[in-house]
Amino acid sequence: MWLNREIGKESISAEELSRRLEDYFKGKSISSWIKDHFLSRFYGDTPHRFMIAMQNPSRGMLAGYAYEHHFFLKQWVKSLAYVIAKSDLEEVQRNEIDNMLVEFFGYGGKPSHHELLIRMGEDLGLKKDEIINGSPLPRTQKSIGVWEMICRDNHWLEGMAAMHSLELVANRNLRQMGSRVHYFNEEILGSDRYPKSVVEFLREGYEADVGHSEYSLLLVDRHCTDVNLREEILASYLESEEAFYRYLDARYLRGKEFEAKL
Amino acid sequence: MKRNYDGCALCDATWGNYWREIEGENTFFCCNICADAYENMLKRVKKETGWDKIDYLEISGNYSAGRTCYATKGDERFDFFFRHEDGEITEFRKLTKD
Repeated sequence: MWLNREIGKESISAEELSRRLEDYFKGKSISSWIKDHFLSRFYGDTPHRFMIAMQNPSRGMLAGYAYEHHFFLKQWVKSLAYVIAKSDLEEVQRNEIDNMLVEFFGYGGKPSHHELLIRMGEDLGLKKDEIINGSPLPRTQKSIGVWEMICRDNHWLEGMAAMHSLELVANRNLRQMGSRVHYFNEEILGSDRYPKSVVEFLREGYEADVGHSEYSLLLVDRHCTDVNLREEILASYLESEEAFYRYLDARYLRGKEFEAKL
Repeated sequence: MKRNYDGCALCDATWGNYWREIEGENTFFCCNICADAYENMLKRVKKETGWDKIDYLEISGNYSAGRTCYATKGDERFDFFFRHEDGEITEFRKLTKD
């Protein structure tokens, strides 16, 4: 599937395949390469079905998001902790700590993204215990395993690229980058159709993820000086991209499950 | 069974070299995942239609978008949409023509 999508469907010689793969990975900075590929995969001609659903999300779809994303954020902290442990650079460690505070622990009396997520789930009819003590769908679990493996076993720059590239999903500059749709219908932010917690949760990502994704990927550009490591970083990004695709499927499918219940 | 694709029976790729007997024919696929998806999709079509065989199958789409298809048997036609993951059918809908 990856080969069909990225390289081509036709049968070619090993030499030609090698040449095309070399072309595929070379060129732009790591951050630009990742942005282009992320945009094409999730917001290109065929936006992911979760993004399409988020243009006019049902309560069930948002509840499915809340439920599965709890497990994503639990892994998020672990993944960033691997980066901190493996890097000796204070600017990198500070970046990851700041991110963890915003996403999971909260800071300066402000609720974390995780806390806002739980509030959204509760307002949509879920119980906090149901989310915290629940089980993710197998697709989410499998994707979490990929992120754990990349951050635990690979270079910390691979972990950074694999994780922070995913924050591009809610980057409010997506349209300027060429996306036909945003992560969600931005009219929701000014709408009274949804509980206040939904607007607060979506606004937090909308405002925070520009800096989170773009600065973190610039740090990857800055600290990767080895051409071989560059290819490893891009390969890890592609693994993470595939895991994220499946994870978004899980959100969509959980949303469909909740649409029938809530 | 006639098909609209000359390459892999599911995705039309011409790379790879995986063969499996499907409906009595030695059929070319790029990989075992496509073969599993194709075989599972045919089983589902037969279950939905009650047909014992399919004369013609036309597929369009891809993994990300899902695949919109139709199958015929004699004068009968069955339109459907499906998605797969690792060869297992994860979404299957009968399509009704306007």
